Amino acid sequence: MFANGDEIFKISRLTIAWLTIIFTIVWMVCWGVGIAIPMLLTQQLGDQANLANEILRAVTPVIAILVFIPINAMFMVLIERRALALWTVRKGPNRVGPDGNLQTAADAVKLLLKEDITPTGADAVMHTFAPILFFAPSIIGAVPLLAAVTNDHPLFHILNLPTGIFYVLAAGALPVVALVMAGWASNNKYSLVGGLRSAAQAISYEIPLVLSLVTVCLMAGTLDLVKITQQQAGGILNWNLLGGGALVGLNQAIGGGGAKALEAAYPMGAISYVCAGLLVCSLIISFWLYLTGACAEINRIPFDLPEAESELVSGYNTEYSGMKFAIFFLAEFTNLFVVASVTTVMFLGGGDNPIPPYILDKIPGIPQMVAAIRDSFFCQTLHIINPETLFATLWVIAKVYGLVIFAILIRATLPRFRIDQLMAFGWKRLIPLSLIVFIIVVFAREFVNIHG
Amino acid sequence: MGQDLLSPLLSSPNVETWAFYLLTTLSICLAIGVLADRVVIRSGFILIGVFGTISGIFLLLSAQFLALAQIMIYAVGITLMVVIALMLTNPRLEKEQAVVYYDESLPPLAKLFASCKRNLSLWVSVLSFVTLYSALIGENHWPLSDQAVSQDAVKVLGESLVTNYSIPFEFASVLLLAALMGAVMLAKGEPKTKDDDDSLTVVDEAKKQENNLALQR
Repeated sequence: MFANGDEIFKISRLTIAWLTIIFTIVWMVCWGVGIAIPMLLTQQLGDQANLANEILRAVTPVIAILVFIPINAMFMVLIERRALALWTVRKGPNRVGPDGNLQTAADAVKLLLKEDITPTGADAVMHTFAPILFFAPSIIGAVPLLAAVTNDHPLFHILNLPTGIFYVLAAGALPVVALVMAGWASNNKYSLVGGLRSAAQAISYEIPLVLSLVTVCLMAGTLDLVKITQQQAGGILNWNLLGGGALVGLNQAIGGGGAKALEAAYPMGAISYVCAGLLVCSLIISFWLYLTGACAEINRIPFDLPEAESELVSGYNTEYSGMKFAIFFLAEFTNLFVVASVTTVMFLGGGDNPIPPYILDKIPGIPQMVAAIRDSFFCQTLHIINPETLFATLWVIAKVYGLVIFAILIRATLPRFRIDQLMAFGWKRLIPLSLIVFIIVVFAREFVNIHG
Repeated sequence: MGQDLLSPLLSSPNVETWAFYLLTTLSICLAIGVLADRVVIRSGFILIGVFGTISGIFLLLSAQFLALAQIMIYAVGITLMVVIALMLTNPRLEKEQAVVYYDESLPPLAKLFASCKRNLSLWVSVLSFVTLYSALIGENHWPLSDQAVSQDAVKVLGESLVTNYSIPFEFASVLLLAALMGAVMLAKGEPKTKDDDDSLTVVDEAKKQENNLALQR
């Protein structure tokens, strides 16, 4: 049926194997630092170990992120190259290791061993500082997301902030400065143009991006990422993608609430139903607005003008080599991951199962399976598996990597914008659209009883 | 129980005071760096550091939202604008400013006026510093609240913005709207030149068609 079914099979196998390895390693490290060592210490020392345990628990999330980012970026580079090869009908990396699967490891070693060059006439301090400033925010920004995507796991609970999404946005705004800095400090005209383009682009596309998230926060009534995730629990109809809670009443009605639940959720009859429909449309538009804005924010095709290789050699990172270039590369893929996580948390229900619980409980075998996991040795004694977060995390992984692969598909499909088209599209199309959606949501939400 | 042991350590007045002094020293040093640096664009980037440390002070005061707004608006948005404006206007020309003509024969009042005019920025900064300082010193009873900071600080902030402080809020929004419209007017540029027969020139028409095509896609 598929001419390249073999390649598709290989990619799926690669994805599943890599993801299993990544998340097993990350979770074992977290478990070791956050649970196993404190348990051992408490056994050996009793109460004296409390302070050490607190410190260990506090550093667990940081260690988790630091372990996760490099191996995740390696995986994403590999999967991007293979998937691009598949979609553009080429052969991807196929020389290094079995099936070319060690290609990114080889690339990483090559980048680390390369000479680090600072061009003549460049501002050495800022030339060094720019990759750091580019990379740091993606780690900092991932922090509150970690609490949200693990369904508020006790280890990561400290990370949750009352201003969660605003924090992520503020961290996401910082890399632009780094790009301008890199462009200016390189003492190269191409780099400078790349940096300036990136600034212009980020400033224009930040507005629809923030407005689309503001729409979601307005529906949720909070900025707290964990609360936003928890509001969306209970099946696909509760997700922010479908009306930001406007269909909760429908979900309850199907789940056994009947006409009474409908009455409670849509108190004004026909007007409420129309408004609920409007909300669903607006939130779906918001979702696309966010994806577009985020693509522009992280400089992915079709918005990769800052590094357009046919026009600017390589844009802002033309003059970078070795370690510094590797950091730019790493940060770019980490940003893609962060953006996919934000989309998952804000629109796709975080760790929520798309099948609502009233259907799920009727499928034979599933409740027993959950109970069996809960009573098992791993869960009760070793605390390796936390039943509340296990399934949530699996769903998050599926959704986030689904979005990542979608971004790769877009990269394989769309050509690059021209700079004036980019600006016109941002200012004349996206910003008015996001404002209209915002205003519709402000009025329509008054007629519907949101989130029950 | 997660933060039972660490949080008193972190919130003890000693640590807070030290953190305050550290951040203030850092921000003053960076601010001096902004003034002292010969390369104008680099001082623009140092300005980001100043705003960052100020947002750290906001964090110490438990104003998380303000700290983040400080980073997002001042450290990134405004500084980036300043830096780009500097890049586009070739700041190196600044040194070649015309020598100010200074006439000794002027009457003393006019001399004073001329010197004020030359050092305008100095006098403005001295004046604003004196005003702020006297306001801080003269008012002995700044209202100090002994209530704990609310968990939902963002909500409190939003509510007071649209109730107690709604007039300043509206003024600010009108000001921003006016600035936005002014920017659009400035960017719009000259009206299109027309031919004798009142049609657009060939070049303009081609441009327009191309634009339409681009947008339709």
